[in-house]
Amino acid sequence: MSQYNDSSYYSGGGGGGGYIAGGSPFSQGGSPGGRVRTDISHSLRPVKICQLNKATQAHVDAEFRLDDVELGNVSVVAQAVSIQPQATNCVYHLDDGTGRFEARHWVDQESETNVLNWGGLRESMYVRVTGALKGFHGKRYLNTVHVRPITDKHEIFFHEMEAITATLTVERGPPGGTGPKATASGSKDVTMTDASAYSAPSTSVAQDQYAHLPKLQQAIVRFMMEQPPSPEGTHVFAIARAVGDGNDAQKISAALDQLMDEGLVYTTSDDNHFTLAN
Amino acid sequence: MSALEREISPRVNAEMLPKWIGKTVRLTCKLLNFDSESERSFRVEASDGGQVVIQAINTGEPFRPDDIYLEVIGKVIDATTISMLGCIGMGNELDMKLVNDTVILIHDPRFFGKMFSY
Repeated sequence: MSQYNDSSYYSGGGGGGGYIAGGSPFSQGGSPGGRVRTDISHSLRPVKICQLNKATQAHVDAEFRLDDVELGNVSVVAQAVSIQPQATNCVYHLDDGTGRFEARHWVDQESETNVLNWGGLRESMYVRVTGALKGFHGKRYLNTVHVRPITDKHEIFFHEMEAITATLTVERGPPGGTGPKATASGSKDVTMTDASAYSAPSTSVAQDQYAHLPKLQQAIVRFMMEQPPSPEGTHVFAIARAVGDGNDAQKISAALDQLMDEGLVYTTSDDNHFTLAN
Repeated sequence: MSALEREISPRVNAEMLPKWIGKTVRLTCKLLNFDSESERSFRVEASDGGQVVIQAINTGEPFRPDDIYLEVIGKVIDATTISMLGCIGMGNELDMKLVNDTVILIHDPRFFGKMFSY
């Protein structure tokens, strides 16, 4: 029975139901505490233990978020300060220089593998741990799916760089500025963010070719660049309204003539419509 | 989160030691030689080429690591001395330029407060 039966948000036809139009956060969970799983939950992000300690959680059943992005699986490279095999799991206490964290690896009870010797793991050695961030009674831990020793020590420093890269990618989009924008839901994917930080270079390159122009002509060109693409171009009245500001019609007309003489703009359907040459 | 869980021991090079006196740090370094008198301290070269004296833990036995490259975790005594709390072998081949570039990036103000400290 839906908790929204008597809600003021109920809409739609009469009768039963009671789900909020457009769906409810709880409609997929099965239980009121269930949360919607997104594609992010299958992602893998290299992080530092400090970031795990700083991750936020809206409530105890909510997903963990880092840099305002949902955290899926994480990968940590750290020193295994202690390894404590227990009946059903093995507990690793990790330290990577930015804090301490607990990782739990649940062991198959029927397996004959000696957990302490699995993969040659020893206390004080550097290991790579992959898993998901979990919380239990206010304490966080890594629900570990894989642990392996670090054999090439360069991997420790590679991980530092990779964690920095991942954080920058979340903030600014992938390098090159060609990443897709944020998803329609408004939440940011780990690899897709607003690429506006990388749109500036292309704009500034275009403006550079107009940098030699007088102020009025630059203002006209800048206004035309901001208009949505159209086969007819921009009407002279719109240009005059935008750059008018003390410039009379004659000055604007003269500026447009000069831009045409330089080959930077041209007329389209009639003498009142202009578009940029490139 | 307990205070222990928030204790940091950031990677540093020799040039950064004066700023971390009294604090615990991690120094990735190359073993140069042992102090012939005390046998409890040894000299290392940090990733930026600076030399540092490491005071080993007093266990009654002389400290003799197996590897040439080490990561020394310890408390900074002064600009050229660290009192060792622990040591991890880093093998016999390590790109110290990579190490130094990483250390410098870690302490970049854009990243240090956000990812490497509280």
